[in-house]
Amino acid sequence: MLKKLFILILLTASVGAFGQGKFIAKNAYISFYSSTPMEDILGESNEAVTILDSSNGEIVFQALMSTFHFKRALMEEHFNENYMESTKFPKAKFKGTIEGFKKEMLTAPVAIIKITGVLNVHGVDKTITVPGTIGLQDGKLVATSKYKVTPEDFGIVIPSLVRDKVGKEMEITVKSTYLPYGQ
Amino acid sequence: MKKFHTIFAGLILFMFVGNAYSQDLDALLNAETKPTIDYATATFKASRIINGHSIEQMKKKQLDFRISHRFGVLNDGGYGLYGLDHSVIHFSLEYGVNDWLMLGVGRGSLNKTYDSFAKFRLLRQSSGAKSMPISLSYLSSVELNSMKFADPTRTNYFSSRLTYVSQLLVARKFNDKFSFQLTPTYIHRNLTKTELDKNDIFALGAGARYKLSKRLSLNAEYYYTYNPNAKFLETRYYNSASVGIDIETGGHVFQIMLTNSQGMREGSFIPQTTDNWFDKGIHLGFNISRVFAL
Repeated sequence: MLKKLFILILLTASVGAFGQGKFIAKNAYISFYSSTPMEDILGESNEAVTILDSSNGEIVFQALMSTFHFKRALMEEHFNENYMESTKFPKAKFKGTIEGFKKEMLTAPVAIIKITGVLNVHGVDKTITVPGTIGLQDGKLVATSKYKVTPEDFGIVIPSLVRDKVGKEMEITVKSTYLPYGQ
Repeated sequence: MKKFHTIFAGLILFMFVGNAYSQDLDALLNAETKPTIDYATATFKASRIINGHSIEQMKKKQLDFRISHRFGVLNDGGYGLYGLDHSVIHFSLEYGVNDWLMLGVGRGSLNKTYDSFAKFRLLRQSSGAKSMPISLSYLSSVELNSMKFADPTRTNYFSSRLTYVSQLLVARKFNDKFSFQLTPTYIHRNLTKTELDKNDIFALGAGARYKLSKRLSLNAEYYYTYNPNAKFLETRYYNSASVGIDIETGGHVFQIMLTNSQGMREGSFIPQTTDNWFDKGIHLGFNISRVFAL
């Protein structure tokens, strides 16, 4: 009887330990950059939150629009008011999986990866596959990614009046340094 | 039976821990995302609703160059091209020292007036981690009438040229489209035109905007004067009333309006509006704002 209980406890405890395999970054960097001969636009956030599940390679991101900052105050106002409609859609989210995920990816110095998942911006879902890297740098798990998105894909309309100032594509840069979750 | 109990208890325990393990990453993410203070931005499109100040001000190191015109009375008829023959102009440079202080200097052709102002942000409307229902700012300005003195033979003082304005700007952005502002105003004029006029003027302004589209809004503004100037000879004084639209094009804001005031500073359009909407006294006008990031 006692033995059975012991096995059960051991079993549940081991499941619990398995559940510890999550990593979190609360100050992940996300930027988007558009460049035209008329104007360069760079918006940056250092407050994105991301969690990586090391058991299955699942990775999620969330960034509040209000954490994005720009060099020019007017750009920030237009970003929130005219393009992202931040009061209606306060968050951008991504939920995806590292393709062909292996645990060794997390211990290698740099592993080249591909992530497929759903990016939600401006209330619109879009499935994307993006390149990235992951690896152990100075004892910390670091993930990066750089890819391009088109604002129109997310229902963000650039009026013809400012079309030559806002690029057709935005370059998104992501860098997150993870710590074990719960520490 | 006892055995069954143990298995059952174990199963419950297992399910509980198992659940915690498979807890949705989304839920974890939401729990870990810190709530932020969401300040109401763009309560109005520009630093003026129409003639008077709005709650908006230049952010740090932003310079606003403004040019405004008010034409003659629209119902002047075709002879004066509907007022376009007579325009008064005002231009100003307005700068955000930091996010709570804005300074401006300007010059208007009406009464050859120089002006300067300081606008202080006291409260910012916000939601989220910190909730504040309104935005509140304080505006202080001095206007200098540089016209030649009417009677150079008597002793004229420099101080006679000065008018002081104090305003509290209380605004709320009710939703993405609608914003409203109340503006209690106190004006002190060192020298008035006639003995009948009061040196101290009290007024209450009300202004609103309604967004028609992302880059176009409809604005209205009214200043009620509690102790207006008395009628002098044929000159009567009216409350200032204006309607207009704001058109935003990136770094520019164009404001086009109809108003019964030709003055563009508080010291003139609040106590000295002499035209009447209902009796051939409507002026067409515009403000152009161009913002530079320094």
